[in-house]
Amino acid sequence: MTADEPVRRVPTFCYNCVSGPDFLTVKVENGIATEIEPNFAAETVHPGRGRPCVKAYGLVQKTYNPNRVRTPMKRTNPKKGRDEDPGFTPISWDEALDTIAERLKAVRTGGLIDQAGLPRLAASFGHGGTPANYMGTFPAFLAAWGPVDFSFGSGQGVKCTHSEHLYGEFWHRAFTVSADTPNTRYVIACGANVEVTGGPTAVIRHADARIRGYKRVQVEPSLTITAACSAEWVPIRPKTDPAFLFALINVLIHEHGLAALDQPFLRDRTASAYLVGPNGLYLRDRATGKPLVWDETRRAAVAFDTARAVPAVAGRFRVATAVTMDADRVRVNHAGVEGTTAFQALSDHIARYTPEWAAAICDVPAETIRRIAGEYLEAASIGATIDIDGHTMPLRPVAVTLGKSVNNGWGAYECCWARTVLAMLVGALENPGGILGTTVRLNRPHDNRHLSVKPGDDGFMVQHFNPTSRERWEATPTTRNLHRTLVPIVGRNGGWSQALGPTQLAWMFQEERPADWPMPEPTHPDVWFVYRSNPAISFWDTRRLAESIARFPFMVAFAYTVDETNYMADLLLPEATDLESTQLIRMGATKYMEHFWDCHGVVLRQQAVEPQGEARDFTWIATELARRTGLLSAYVEQLNRGVAGVAPLKGEGYDVRLDPAEVPEPERIWDAICRAATFTLSDGRDTHGLDWFRQHGFYKVPVSRRSWYLTPTLEEQGLRYELPYQERLMRIGRELRNRLHEQNMHWWDEQLAEYAALPDWHDVPGRWEQALIAAGARTEDFPFWLLTTKSMQYHSGGNASIALMDEVSENLRGHTGVIIHVDTATTLGIGDGDPVEVRSHIGATYGRAALVKGVRPDTLVIVGQFDHWATPYIKDIERASLNSIAPMTLALTDATGSGADIVRVAVRRMERPAA
Amino acid sequence: MSPRYVMVIDLRRCVGCQTCTAACKSANATPPGVQWRRVLDQESGEYPDVRRTFLPVSCMHCAEPPCAEVCPTTATQKREDGLVTIDYDVCIGCANCIMACPYDARTIQHEPRWAYGVPMAHELARADPGRLSVATKCTFCKERIDRAAITGQTPGVDPEVTPACVNSCISGAMLFGDINDPTSGVVKLLESARHFRVHEDLGTGPSIYYIWSET
Repeated sequence: MTADEPVRRVPTFCYNCVSGPDFLTVKVENGIATEIEPNFAAETVHPGRGRPCVKAYGLVQKTYNPNRVRTPMKRTNPKKGRDEDPGFTPISWDEALDTIAERLKAVRTGGLIDQAGLPRLAASFGHGGTPANYMGTFPAFLAAWGPVDFSFGSGQGVKCTHSEHLYGEFWHRAFTVSADTPNTRYVIACGANVEVTGGPTAVIRHADARIRGYKRVQVEPSLTITAACSAEWVPIRPKTDPAFLFALINVLIHEHGLAALDQPFLRDRTASAYLVGPNGLYLRDRATGKPLVWDETRRAAVAFDTARAVPAVAGRFRVATAVTMDADRVRVNHAGVEGTTAFQALSDHIARYTPEWAAAICDVPAETIRRIAGEYLEAASIGATIDIDGHTMPLRPVAVTLGKSVNNGWGAYECCWARTVLAMLVGALENPGGILGTTVRLNRPHDNRHLSVKPGDDGFMVQHFNPTSRERWEATPTTRNLHRTLVPIVGRNGGWSQALGPTQLAWMFQEERPADWPMPEPTHPDVWFVYRSNPAISFWDTRRLAESIARFPFMVAFAYTVDETNYMADLLLPEATDLESTQLIRMGATKYMEHFWDCHGVVLRQQAVEPQGEARDFTWIATELARRTGLLSAYVEQLNRGVAGVAPLKGEGYDVRLDPAEVPEPERIWDAICRAATFTLSDGRDTHGLDWFRQHGFYKVPVSRRSWYLTPTLEEQGLRYELPYQERLMRIGRELRNRLHEQNMHWWDEQLAEYAALPDWHDVPGRWEQALIAAGARTEDFPFWLLTTKSMQYHSGGNASIALMDEVSENLRGHTGVIIHVDTATTLGIGDGDPVEVRSHIGATYGRAALVKGVRPDTLVIVGQFDHWATPYIKDIERASLNSIAPMTLALTDATGSGADIVRVAVRRMERPAA
Repeated sequence: MSPRYVMVIDLRRCVGCQTCTAACKSANATPPGVQWRRVLDQESGEYPDVRRTFLPVSCMHCAEPPCAEVCPTTATQKREDGLVTIDYDVCIGCANCIMACPYDARTIQHEPRWAYGVPMAHELARADPGRLSVATKCTFCKERIDRAAITGQTPGVDPEVTPACVNSCISGAMLFGDINDPTSGVVKLLESARHFRVHEDLGTGPSIYYIWSET
């Protein structure tokens, strides 16, 4: 195949959402990309059978979209704001890059950290880290630079799966949690919309599972795509999922009983047997500090790791001597104290959360909850086994999965805990058929979560919390979202820790701060890079956020089109997009969502067509920035370390390093990365360069399916899951409270309540009502819940300006409007297609009513994130958005720093068509 | 026996993602607003017992096509292999067929249309004036089927000679093949599951079968 052939098919990938990479081929006719097709060569390699989802079919339009930014542009209007035409004017690459380089050199001269102790360079990247699959070697430039503040999020993380990310990694190294769909038989999905967000891999796996006869119960307020594909839809009241899940636990423990549960798993792989003292702390051996268990053989309390001990899972026992260890290492000696096993404490705690209690909260009949719990337990088939690659493993084919705004924001800790406990009770945690973690991001290494499992305290995996001790707590924040100061569980402190901090706080505290704020006032970064990120559309209270963005002194945006965020930019840089540029990335093993593969390897995104206009390959841009900023050698050293690629460029048996004194061409860089990757993946058997990848597309080596599951790794190391009792989190919360109060800071007190050893139900939806009252509004004026849900056509693709997506998404019911129950609409005099105003206490958004029966009558739904006013094409199409009218407040921020996409609203028919 | 091609769509698998809709537009370069196939999204029942069903639809390539019956120029033809075709050189754009088709499968476009108002490079490269002011519809990717006779490949098995929508389907809902071949995938699936055809009562003999449950 050569570039001169009239018709070529070029293998490449799509990674526009976290459920990539999906393989595809681009048909190129006489140099013009004309079609997207599956990559049939990857049929047996990619679990989605080499097929990309609908979004990829928009990539041809994306390439030739006349609205693209095709040359570097500079702002000519020094005033910034939504009402200020930026006056973008084309300039040369030299002028653009020199302008940036002068700024950056001035920053370096003044010091990388400013007077507030904050990085003077900030960068924001969009959805779930996916921009990293398009930004070439830019990570090497940032690594060469030094401290960078990733605080300014676009809503990703804190709006989506946030608590699951943090607690998931804590409990089972699970940045995202998935059902083991190829093996499962029963799934309770609380809002997990995998038929939309899980990509072709999830779609085919769940389709196969349906044919196989699995049952999925979809629990969520509206009949989403995934609910439509489920055996049963349970329209739960918004944000009451913790109550539903607590009741499931109640039924398992109190109606079916311990004898029906997976007792060996509870005893050996969890802390169920650890004894809890009357003060709520683990009773520990006085000499070693190890948690005690009650050994049924010796009939005595012994350290948890005592050889041949048979710990009691349930019960209360008299312990002769023990010590407890509280926050700030406060020791209390005990004698003749009663110890309650952690499982017993769970049992006692959950007793009040009966199905009848939950029914009143969730608006789900008690008999439905009871039946679902029973079906779950029966399907768990406790005692069954399965052969996985020659190993006999437990088969526990049941899973509870959580979706957006269930696994983030207030109530999400409760949901994540309850979900993981439900798996624990039946041994379905990280065992075949159950739930398993896919990828790690806070822990390291990112490409193998098993390697992050090492022995830590109390028989659990090692954890890397942001410190809360008096000596090491970060009293002066080093990032603008205060992630090290406020959120211990987001520790480890790469860019992912920062990006998963409370990113809304970075925005909010730029504008105003609590009265008891003893820290330096946060500053604006001197320079802010933005790529594939549009927080002025995708975060909350977006109109106010746009005003905040306008106050940033110098923004450089890698820009596909003008959009609502880069409207405030000082420079726009057109990078060569998906089909125009080159990058090698990792594939397989486990990645997000449902991506656990039978192989791992690398896949190439390659230039299929010439870039439009003056768009340049991101790797060229990164290299030029490094050169002009005086960071060339440091940048190349980072490339040699493997920062932008898959493996270091030098290792045992190979050396393809680049010369730090020379400016490397992008092709030379990627050729070296291809060679290093294939050498290391194949243990030296193969070395393939860029030309080989251009022809073949990907390189793979097999992995065992056993690597999908973490439990064998814990077994090998004799470790336990830190469940069900969260003694450590409780202690850490108390330490954090001590530190904050020592600084006279009380504005985070509400969040500290989340650090509970066993979470209680509290009125989670009531928090949104209270926030409304606190803002001076009346709840009766805003009688409906407004939610949002994702769409496959748009989900994280940054493709709101792609006409094809607009066209095909209109085939889906309610996609382009405001979804309202038909009875509710009738009561309000609203007809299908009528223009409506949806108003919260902070503003209004406008769209067309879409009348359906598959939504709760007290709930409205707006699909996707729209309400654009600058992005070409979509700005001329009437689309409402929750983000425009959802507040961004401290009161609606949970202890992990996340919020949820939900707001109280009123709805009315407009007398005339909405503008 | 000569082949007769049919499509079998397993509704238990379809998720309404519109990937087939987009793939068809990609493969056939249909202009904005013209969809030779799409996936319908329909609700039934009363709250809270509501169901939502996704139904991919297109030209049904009927055995007794009403469109052909009313075509005054014989532009619409029924081929022996089951494909219903339109000869754009013969079609006069009278729209009789659009009125006659019970599946709302046909379109006539009189002016060129571009996604952003001005033509993009790929649109220009594939614009076909011969498709203006004539009826158009799903062809079962006729060129691919015809290529099979030359290459010896099997439609429904080899992707190069299989309709683009079938190739693209991410849920594995769509199969294509020869209903006269007892070893074909479509025959096996039809034998193993309950199925229906749309408006079967009209006697049109649609070539698209929908699977909705096991036998």
